Amino acid sequence: MALTKKTTKPKRPSFDWRTYDPGQFYDELISTPGNPRKVGRGIFSYLNKYSEAHLMARQKATDLAIQEMGISFTIYSEGENIDRAWPMDIIPRIIPSKEWAGIEKGLTQRLTALNMFINDIYNDQKIFKDKVVPLELITSSKDFLKPCIGITPRHGVWANICGSDLVRDHNGTFYVLEDNLRVPSGVSYMLENRAVSKRVLPHLFNKHSILPVDDYPSQLFDMLTSLSPRKSDNPEIAVLTPGIYNSAYFEHAYLAQRMGAELVGGSNLVVGNDDCVYMKTINGLERVDVIYRRINDDFLDPEVFNPDSCVGTPGLFRAWAKGNVGLANSPGSGVADDKIIYTYVPKIIKYYLGEDPILPNVPSYLCVNDKEREHVLANLPTMVVKPANESGGYGMLVGPASTKKEQDNFAELIKKNPRNYMAQPALRLSTAPTLCQGKIEPRHLDLRPFVLQGSSSYVTPGGLTRVALRKGSLVVNSSQGGGSKDTWIVETEAK
Amino acid sequence: MLSETAERVYWFARYVERTENISRLMLVRHQLILDLPKNIQPDWKLLVDMLGVHEEFAKTKRTPSEKNIIDFIFSDLKNPSSIISTITSARENIRTTREVMPSEMWECVNALYLSVAKRSGKGLPRSQRHDVLNEIIKACQQITGLLASTMNYDDTYQFILLGRHLERADMSTRIVDAGSASLSGDEEEIEPYRNVLWISILRSLSAYQMYRLNVRRRVSPNDVLDFLLKSPVFARSTALNLAQLELCVQRLSHHKKASQAIHGILKELAGADISELRGVKLHAFLDELQSRLGDIHNCIVSTWLHPETMHQKTAS
Repeated sequence: MALTKKTTKPKRPSFDWRTYDPGQFYDELISTPGNPRKVGRGIFSYLNKYSEAHLMARQKATDLAIQEMGISFTIYSEGENIDRAWPMDIIPRIIPSKEWAGIEKGLTQRLTALNMFINDIYNDQKIFKDKVVPLELITSSKDFLKPCIGITPRHGVWANICGSDLVRDHNGTFYVLEDNLRVPSGVSYMLENRAVSKRVLPHLFNKHSILPVDDYPSQLFDMLTSLSPRKSDNPEIAVLTPGIYNSAYFEHAYLAQRMGAELVGGSNLVVGNDDCVYMKTINGLERVDVIYRRINDDFLDPEVFNPDSCVGTPGLFRAWAKGNVGLANSPGSGVADDKIIYTYVPKIIKYYLGEDPILPNVPSYLCVNDKEREHVLANLPTMVVKPANESGGYGMLVGPASTKKEQDNFAELIKKNPRNYMAQPALRLSTAPTLCQGKIEPRHLDLRPFVLQGSSSYVTPGGLTRVALRKGSLVVNSSQGGGSKDTWIVETEAK
Repeated sequence: MLSETAERVYWFARYVERTENISRLMLVRHQLILDLPKNIQPDWKLLVDMLGVHEEFAKTKRTPSEKNIIDFIFSDLKNPSSIISTITSARENIRTTREVMPSEMWECVNALYLSVAKRSGKGLPRSQRHDVLNEIIKACQQITGLLASTMNYDDTYQFILLGRHLERADMSTRIVDAGSASLSGDEEEIEPYRNVLWISILRSLSAYQMYRLNVRRRVSPNDVLDFLLKSPVFARSTALNLAQLELCVQRLSHHKKASQAIHGILKELAGADISELRGVKLHAFLDELQSRLGDIHNCIVSTWLHPETMHQKTAS
């Protein structure tokens, strides 16, 4: 045997945090160059201990775990559906629990008011009579569904599942960017991100006391149970999916699995002469009590809405209107999730609850108002212009990242149809350290917590953090090259 | 349980079983080459016959060489009975029924798929065949074991069992059929190796050891046929799988028709004297048996998967 000389292993170089510069932005982890915020000390010391090569190896392990766990999303591109592995950055995003408590309260307040608002729209319309919100805004909205007039769903709640988008600006303040009241997605990725970090970074969990998120499926199940028209401990609950080609199919299957609910397509359901909903089972037809539908209003029921829909079920609306089946979210909820209505939410909260909003809105300009439109047109390079009714980051103008030509195009669009546009000053979104091609760099992010309302309210501790992986980019959508991070709500009080 | 879900689960089980069987077939062929002299090398085309895909192979316009056939059966997506195809189908069926399966299940199937997909296009040289095929067989057994130890023994599980047992019953008839055909060559040349060939048929169904334990005589064609088709104890015999099928359908509602059909075949099989059947007669008998198994499949479809009549459950 050859003699081996014992040598001390040279310390692998670790990342030099002094070179990490979030610039003018609020950084979620770093307070001053080279120093972490109090809440992030554990993760900071971990990151400090290891070389970037080591972190890259962890990232590779993460990607592999995600592939093996089959966590994917589907994108439609060039006539093909592609199943892509979910992108997740290993460095978690950390929010102190004390701060979170306020956000949670704010979200509950906001959704409670929004639900009262929707119920008012379809019933007494008091808020219009009291001239707090102009009635024309509603009647001109394509999401206002006349067939819903006069209906009050169980508990008076319309939007049972909501995924609000929050952003933090350069001062560290959280704003509500939009309320997603139709069929918000992403919660399964929040849950899977946590499962992946536990698998890949178990030692980090010892350094922090982190609020668990695993409870969501049972909370969702309980909420859906509270919508059942029949008094029963085990109502038949179904998740209605448009099918495997939908970008969120993974999530539909995931949630059905975690709740022990049936995953159904529209063709698996029939509405009987008794106006009850049944599903086609191996034992014949079985009644369904509650449907968590992941199909948009338009396609839900060809009898009432889009007659060409082949993913919905004829008669579903009728069954719901008669109170024979619970639907979450209720058809017509989208009326309050409109970028124009958004600007009225602070007033709506004050009107129904008599409280000041806990979470602020991003200052917004409605292009329908002459003065505000002029301001928008004069400041396009510093504005984000959004169409009232699009999601997924499509059809919007991000001023600071746009060309003169794009700005001119948008100016024309706005002048042609001012009702359809609103604008907000481009926020200086907060950043967090993110592993990009082997380097730790600041990247912009947002946060989507999920709120459940049925007989009671529930807010997920944290939510889905989406991160724009391209340098300087503010677009976080996974369909457009965004990634994600596990989100930790961390106890800050001494144990 | 949704009829559509039942259908996917049923096919999932069939494809997993098929994947295991095809891998085993390839492995046994591979081992047989090492035993036989050069002049009576086993015809690789037999594999294509066993799986009933000669037309698909003809379409590839490739010579039936060892490499071409192995490629065709291992990694050709155009061949519906290739290992990559059956794994892809199994994965697609479970991907769309993840909600009724244990979540580890999906990871197992997905990992199996990823490992085979990674290899496809690279061929399967002799030196790697044993390891790769063994890994696939192990993964399939892991899936079967995982299902048995983590699933509720409810309707979903019955449909898994239906798929598995029907696939096994069918595969045994195919292997016996094609295997016995390989013995019908030049008598004199084959004679010294007859025993080896019958043993390889047993091995294709991992039946050799169990045969030894159960039959306790030297390997003879009569006994082998009886064991593979009619044994009430051998896990892959056609008769045992039919008996299991009968038990399964009886646990489901509206099972009368299916149950009668299965029972009928079982009775005929028990009454048939197959030990003396050889050559053309044996082939005709197996052909008939396969088409009867096809009837059972049709009956499962028309009763539960795509019911002709929808029974309405009275409001509870």
